[in-house]
Amino acid sequence: MNIIEINQLTKFYGKVKGIENVSFNVKEGEIFGFIGPNGAGKSTTIRTLLGLIFPTSGSAKLFGKDCIEFGSKIRSEIGYLPSEVFYYEKMKVKDLLKYSASFYKKDCTKRINELSEIMELNLNRRIEDLSYGNKKKVGIVQGLLHEPKLIMLDEPTSGLDPLMQQKFFDIISEENKKGSTVFFSSHILSEVQHLCNRVAIIKDGHVIKVEDIKTLREDNYKKVTVKGESLDSNLYSFEGVSQLTSFDHMLNFFYKGDVNFLIETIGKQKVQDILIEDPSLEEIFMHYYK
Amino acid sequence: MNIVARELRSNLKSLLIWSGSLIAVIVMMLSEFSAYYNNPDMAQIMNSMPKALMDAFSMSNANLTTVSGYVSITVVYVNLMLGIFAVLLGNSIIAKEERDKTAGFLMTMPVTRTKILIGKIIAAAINCLIVLVVVIGSLYLFTLKYNPDQDFYRFLWLVAVTTGIFEIMFLSLGLFLASSVKRYKLSSGVGLGILFSLYVLSVLVALSDKIDFLKYVTPFKYYEASKLLQNNGIEGTYLILSFIWAISFTALTFIVYNKRDLRA
Repeated sequence: MNIIEINQLTKFYGKVKGIENVSFNVKEGEIFGFIGPNGAGKSTTIRTLLGLIFPTSGSAKLFGKDCIEFGSKIRSEIGYLPSEVFYYEKMKVKDLLKYSASFYKKDCTKRINELSEIMELNLNRRIEDLSYGNKKKVGIVQGLLHEPKLIMLDEPTSGLDPLMQQKFFDIISEENKKGSTVFFSSHILSEVQHLCNRVAIIKDGHVIKVEDIKTLREDNYKKVTVKGESLDSNLYSFEGVSQLTSFDHMLNFFYKGDVNFLIETIGKQKVQDILIEDPSLEEIFMHYYK
Repeated sequence: MNIVARELRSNLKSLLIWSGSLIAVIVMMLSEFSAYYNNPDMAQIMNSMPKALMDAFSMSNANLTTVSGYVSITVVYVNLMLGIFAVLLGNSIIAKEERDKTAGFLMTMPVTRTKILIGKIIAAAINCLIVLVVVIGSLYLFTLKYNPDQDFYRFLWLVAVTTGIFEIMFLSLGLFLASSVKRYKLSSGVGLGILFSLYVLSVLVALSDKIDFLKYVTPFKYYEASKLLQNNGIEGTYLILSFIWAISFTALTFIVYNKRDLRA
């Protein structure tokens, strides 16, 4: 069953394009990554699904129901965590969470306490006194307190320290195991790789690829930089090497293939320094653009 | 109901500040009255003032040496202040969600925008009522020492009703502007601009006969205190116009806000 069905969704802000003809589905129980650089249209898509903004054309269904027409009903099953959380500054964390819980037709007290404990959140502080990271923690508790069936996360980890990020991912995985579907936007590929089953890649308002994370990993190019006094770039003209450039005693290229063979080749020459890294998201996009 | 409670709470501080300020202004205005009260010399002075000036401040029909007469000239300023209060409240109660970027929270709750608006409007109306009670209550309390007659209390009652209608009109204007002006930072300025333009228009209408028809345009002309004092009543035409104004702006608020793209 598809929890999210997006069909030719288009949003223009006046004449400025937000997203255009975005279509993809998210299945029940999936952790689905939505990756793209800033301004690609990730938030626009999520905000349309939540009914904060209205599509110019196209439609989206959540739980099989139109996201605009049945918005309020649908949202009772959605937990949303925006990239930057804003709450009523004068409210205490406790009161904010109670207020949020008052919109759902169930008692959320137990879950609030559980989550606050895991996230080490002080419930008696005022929102305005909280740091960015602590506000984010409130956001996490607020987004999950009603045990939503669909969790929508918009760049969720910014502002959290690595320890909290880990805890956060643990909570998300746990919710997923209990049956929640997770839809998750990010510009950090490694974050997505760890967690997701499938990803959609969005750039300039268009979804350019929807792929299994396994396939994406297999296609994983390495970015290689070799430094040395007398490097022969001709040595590297073998299968798997692309975009080879050489200047100033330095070779740059992308490699996909047997790593042993690569190391052997590099070992044939005297090398000063070597760097093998995952390509940045931008570089992966360049690959998808070809 | 959770929204109403939340809004009442979040507006409490501003309500207290407004109420305090309004009481202070009324005390100041009425303290001047002791110089006019039963003072024929003062009436003489007022009579020698140019007619146009008196018209402009809608004082021409008022006998400033009586409580009713004096209060009647303060009513326009009371209306002006409550109009400002209502138009700003109507605006902020909606626009603040975008201003403070809390729309992303509230509007992702499982509740329709219509219900959010209803909650906010109820809270705003309660605030308007409280301010009205404070103002009329102050006028009542601080004139007690002059032992006003029955006619004064009848007049004060009419003032309460008409000022309440006036508040609702400007509240609905504020709601409408907040939901329709794309840039939420502008909407309060637009609201105040309209309010003051309508006030100036009412002064101009008093000065010139040629633009008399404009009295139907500005609510400041609808329930002039001098008329309430003389006729002891509210004119039906204006009452209908008031309701059309308030209902239209409120209805438009619901229509427009339900289609609004929310920032933040």
